[in-house]
Amino acid sequence: MRIPFDRSSRSGLRLSTFALPLLLFIALCFLSPSFLSVQNLGNISGQVAALLIVSLGQLVVALIGGIDLSVGSVLSLATTIIVSVDPSYAPAVALLAGIAIGLVNGIGVTYVGVHPLIMTMASMTFVQGLSLFIHPVPGGTVADYLGSLATSPLLGIPAPLLWCVGAVGLAAFALSKTRFGLRLFAIGASPPSAARNGVPVKLYSIVCYVICSVAATVAGIFISGRVSSGDATVGASFALDSITAIAMGGVQLAGGAGSVTGVVLGTITLGLMTNGMNLLGISPFLRTAATGALLLFAISMQRRNVIGV
Amino acid sequence: MSVAYPSARQRLQGTGRSLLSMPFAYVGTVALLAVAYMTTPALVSPMLLLLIVRQAVPLAIAVIGQSLCVRVLSLDLSIGGVILAVSYILTSGIIRYPEPVLLIICILFGACIGALNAFFIVRIKASSVIVTLAMALILSGIVISLSQLRAPGDAPALLRYIGQARWGIVPIAPFVWLALFIPIGWFLRFSVFGRYVDAIGANPQAALLSGIPYARIVTTAHILSAVLAVFSAFVLVGFVGAGSLDIGRDLPLSSLVAVILGGVTFGSGRGGAFGPAVAAFMLTFSFNLLTSLGLGEPAKLMLQGAIIAVAAASYSAQRRS
Repeated sequence: MRIPFDRSSRSGLRLSTFALPLLLFIALCFLSPSFLSVQNLGNISGQVAALLIVSLGQLVVALIGGIDLSVGSVLSLATTIIVSVDPSYAPAVALLAGIAIGLVNGIGVTYVGVHPLIMTMASMTFVQGLSLFIHPVPGGTVADYLGSLATSPLLGIPAPLLWCVGAVGLAAFALSKTRFGLRLFAIGASPPSAARNGVPVKLYSIVCYVICSVAATVAGIFISGRVSSGDATVGASFALDSITAIAMGGVQLAGGAGSVTGVVLGTITLGLMTNGMNLLGISPFLRTAATGALLLFAISMQRRNVIGV
Repeated sequence: MSVAYPSARQRLQGTGRSLLSMPFAYVGTVALLAVAYMTTPALVSPMLLLLIVRQAVPLAIAVIGQSLCVRVLSLDLSIGGVILAVSYILTSGIIRYPEPVLLIICILFGACIGALNAFFIVRIKASSVIVTLAMALILSGIVISLSQLRAPGDAPALLRYIGQARWGIVPIAPFVWLALFIPIGWFLRFSVFGRYVDAIGANPQAALLSGIPYARIVTTAHILSAVLAVFSAFVLVGFVGAGSLDIGRDLPLSSLVAVILGGVTFGSGRGGAFGPAVAAFMLTFSFNLLTSLGLGEPAKLMLQGAIIAVAAASYSAQRRS
């Protein structure tokens, strides 16, 4: 497969997108003897799965030139709903809540015309408050079936890996094999041109925000099954982590360029960094600082003409 | 050219419009005081009101900088990180210098962070929200990991005095705010810099085309905002009396909400300095009211989220019509 590395490519993939995770992988193989153990690799997939699902949602919004800061709060909200509502329909309630938040974000951005960063920052704050209201103290019990969905392996394949494969497959199919995916790239490149060519831009934009919120909800359901408790602040880092991951993966936040491959690579880069710092005994708080630095580095590679928000 | 004087009716309409365009904070403060008077009368005693004014000082100082950023169509969410870092520098004893030198180091540190923010926003043209959030992440990550080595201790005596002392029943912290607010407000109103800020806020394209030093103004706004965050940290650390790891955590968001409530809107070039200050008091008062009604952090967050959404939506709707 020939990979186009030029700046105009629609995938946004560059040499650094591939080189960084590869270099990290090689470095960790040398630096830490336990890195390549099966258990550690299993750990990485567990740590990465939720971020990957959220980042794929973020990708869908970024393709149309939007951004969603509320994903972390939505994820937290999902875990609190899972432990607070009757287990037989808790996932459905969580998904409905996710859809509702996505609708509010989407309508706010498209019909009311609020800047996506401001709109989703508002919903992030509101939903964070709502999650704390529903479930102030971390804890609670999660239904067994959710726990086993998130942890028990199928045919020897670890469950988190299955979630990753499912999410990636779904995203890749939707973006490259359907009319919907193609049109997202068209909207991201130029909304007015897309509209003149008969693409229902507003409807599609709203759908993108809904998909993003639903992805965050699914990640929340996964996390609550995995750690079998609800926590109203568990998602706090996901907004910036997911933006870092997609920006590392060559997705242009101005819209129109990005790929599922890039997002997977970006997420793996972040995951390897976290895992490597764990293995090398570096403070997890320094990892936060490193994510911030990585984010600054990644958005410095983006093209943009506006100064300000 | 003849000048048409407005008729009585037009003048009345004008008054009505200016009443409507008054910052929400003025009406809101009056309404809140009324609600508090009816539900929890204890909250509106002069003694407690003065305490709340004192409590509002760090927010009111941070708001001056935030409103400047919003007026040039930018945002500064790194305030929390700057405050945390300053609190650590002042209280951990990691840098051993006399207090005044320490304070100057903090101010220089703030200016550096502001300049760094501005570099990414103006030169790299990255989104100010993401840049300043990343900066907050970096600062808080470094401070928290450092504090595992050396926990924060007591605040410098000078700051404890400023934060806690009173003259009679009047706390002296609000005077720190006045000492910053009056010169900055005067400067923004009467200087060329202030006019440039208004011009950029009203129409960035026009400002750029007419040769206004766009980059320099936005850079200055961010440096000022970070330096004001340092002053806000001084008062905050003085209050608490000791360093803490969640000091100033909610200031970035609260300052943004106060700016919006104070009548400064994204990209209209409108907005004075006094509205946001009243809004800072109003927000602090409303948090106290919420707490006294038994609604804590969740209600506070939901209220702030709703305020940002409604304000941004109504501004967008106005611009469209």
